[in-house]
Amino acid sequence: MSRSLKKGPYIDIKLEKKVLANVDSEKKTVIKTWSRASMISPDFVGQTIAVHNGNKFIPVYVTENMVGHKLGEFAPTRLFRGHAGNKNKGSK
Amino acid sequence: MSTFDDYYYLGNIINPHGFKGKLNVYLDTDEPAAYDQLDALFLNIKGGLVPYFIESIKIRNQKAVLELQDVDTLEKASLLSKTEMYLPLSTLPTLEGNQFYYHEVVGFEIIDKEYGSLGAIKEVLEYPNQAVLQVFTKEKEVLIPINSGIIQKVDRSHKTIHIQAPDGLISMYLNA
Repeated sequence: MSRSLKKGPYIDIKLEKKVLANVDSEKKTVIKTWSRASMISPDFVGQTIAVHNGNKFIPVYVTENMVGHKLGEFAPTRLFRGHAGNKNKGSK
Repeated sequence: MSTFDDYYYLGNIINPHGFKGKLNVYLDTDEPAAYDQLDALFLNIKGGLVPYFIESIKIRNQKAVLELQDVDTLEKASLLSKTEMYLPLSTLPTLEGNQFYYHEVVGFEIIDKEYGSLGAIKEVLEYPNQAVLQVFTKEKEVLIPINSGIIQKVDRSHKTIHIQAPDGLISMYLNA
C-alpha cells in the first residue's frame, strides 16, 4: 500500500532542516544521514548527501532525475562484484 | 580464443530476431550510435572470446539488430542467445578534457584543492545513477562522487585528477 497523499512525502525533519540551511546559505556542505527512507525533494538538487548503507557513508550528489526517489535507492547495501568465474571481465 | 584482459563489455545478445539468423542485442553503453559502423566483435563462448564479423547492424536506442557472418539460421542464432559481447579496449574512441573511461583512471592520483594528494584511485565503484572514485588515504577509504562540479581537471600526462570536494566530504572519511 502506498503512503497516503494527505501526509505528503516523508523527509526526515533533521535532514530537511540541514538541507534548507545549506540552500539558504548557498553552501554545499556534505550532509550525513542514516535516513534512507527520506524522499528526495527538489530542494536537495545540487547537494551532496552522505547516505549510510549499514557499513559506510556513500556520497550521493543529487541531480534532478533523482527527485521523488528515496535516498536509500542510491546507496545499495550490497555490492555485486560479479560471479566467481567472471573475474577477468573487461570494464566499460 | 582470446582472454578478457584487454577487452571491455559491450552488451549481450538477447534473442534471435526473425528466422534468418539475425539477433536482438542490448548495448550497455552511453552512446549506442557510436557503434553503427562496427565490423567485428567478440563473443564470450564457453569462457573464451571468439571473433565474429558483422554483416549489418541497425541500432535503435540501447538495442540493435545484428547480423553476423555465418549465422544465417534460427538454430545458429538461438545458440548465441544470452551471450556477452566484447570489444578490444584499443577500439575505444579517445576521450579528451574531463571525460574519461572508468578503467582508464584506475591508478591515477587524486589531488584535492584543500587536502592535496589523497592517493591513487583503487577502483571506480558503480552505484545506481552515479559512480564514485575509491581512494585510500592514510589507510582510510575515501569515496568521491564523479560529477562535473567536483572533477576540476583530468591530467592524463601526469596521471592525476584534480578535484574540489564538497566541504566536509574528505574530513568525514578521515575523521571516522
